[in-house]
Amino acid sequence: MTDAPDAISLEALILAVARERDKQAFTVLFDHFAPRVKAFLQRGGTPGASAEDMMQDVLLTVWNKAAQFDPSRASAQAWVFGIARNLKIDTIRRARVPLPELDPLQAEPDLPSDDVVAARQSSRLVRQAIQDLPAEQLEVLKLSYFEDMSHGEIEKALGVPLGTIKSRLRLAMAKLRQVLKEES
Amino acid sequence: MTTHHPSETTLWAHVTGSLPPAHRQVIAIHVALCPHCAAELRHLEEIGGALLEDLTPAPLAAGSFTRLLARLDEPVPPPRPAMASPPASPAGFLSALATGRWRWTGPGIAMMPLMPRDDSNTRLDLIRVAPNTGLLEHGHGGFESTVVLQGTFDDGSGQYGPGDFGEAGRGFDHRPAALPGPECICLIATTAHLKPHGLLGRLVRPLIGM
Repeated sequence: MTDAPDAISLEALILAVARERDKQAFTVLFDHFAPRVKAFLQRGGTPGASAEDMMQDVLLTVWNKAAQFDPSRASAQAWVFGIARNLKIDTIRRARVPLPELDPLQAEPDLPSDDVVAARQSSRLVRQAIQDLPAEQLEVLKLSYFEDMSHGEIEKALGVPLGTIKSRLRLAMAKLRQVLKEES
Repeated sequence: MTTHHPSETTLWAHVTGSLPPAHRQVIAIHVALCPHCAAELRHLEEIGGALLEDLTPAPLAAGSFTRLLARLDEPVPPPRPAMASPPASPAGFLSALATGRWRWTGPGIAMMPLMPRDDSNTRLDLIRVAPNTGLLEHGHGGFESTVVLQGTFDDGSGQYGPGDFGEAGRGFDHRPAALPGPECICLIATTAHLKPHGLLGRLVRPLIGM
């Protein structure tokens, strides 16, 4: 697995796309994110060909909305994840009725400060904390994320009661949140 | 200042995108009114990003990048049709949402349907309850989420005022009642059907469609 390019952070690359429409920077972002976003979409149940198309739309959105990225609010990974998640929702379960546009995470296009290092740091710490989770907590966390399963479905897949699943998920969340809170 | 929040597992389901749009809407309104949950959501998004990062990369189609490169200079499509962001206050959301007609559903109770049942069997409604009026005691066949936009109700577990979020799942019974003051108006997303107790409830359920 290739790791995030170290010399230039992913956050800095998104900012370069925002400021200068830098296609060189975008190439690096594509190489990093496209295969992961496609994997995320595929494991969420989207078949290969449409996962490829949706991935293209996600990366195009990264290009078009780069100016809305604020590294003091989110790491590059969290921002791209949010875009991929939103697109998946729009495609699969589009609400047909217009309702107030509400996405506090995608709003507020303030132009970034110099918190790039902090965002990178917290993203690294969370990844480490995820690796350190007990196997049973990690399993529930990944099933609830990648496989897009409801808690009821996880209950069936793992053969453990719903209460146990929820408490494992809560334990995992508590630990990861702790890491983020110490950071911020 | 809100005092009742979504559970952690509900917020996580919101972040991973596994909730039907009706529940998303209810949660999004609470989050827009609650700095505590907005911060919580940012933390959960970081977890989502970290899991994305550690995913085994999938092979791309041949010429994938070239295909995308050709689209970079296309004009940006206009944003999908949606209402503009209303002022982030319970009253602001209420007036943005309440554009339809109230329908009488019982003494002191009216509803305004916003989204019909979708493929997850979830619907979205506004419900308006006169002060000092109780709903029939009921259980739940699926997940129910609600955010108060005006007034206050009490369901035995606590008092819910503007901005507060309530959730109930299968096997949870309650008998919410509006407290004295202005009419209590809530946005409510319901998956599956409510399970009213008592003959009267079973009789009126087909009429109100809940």
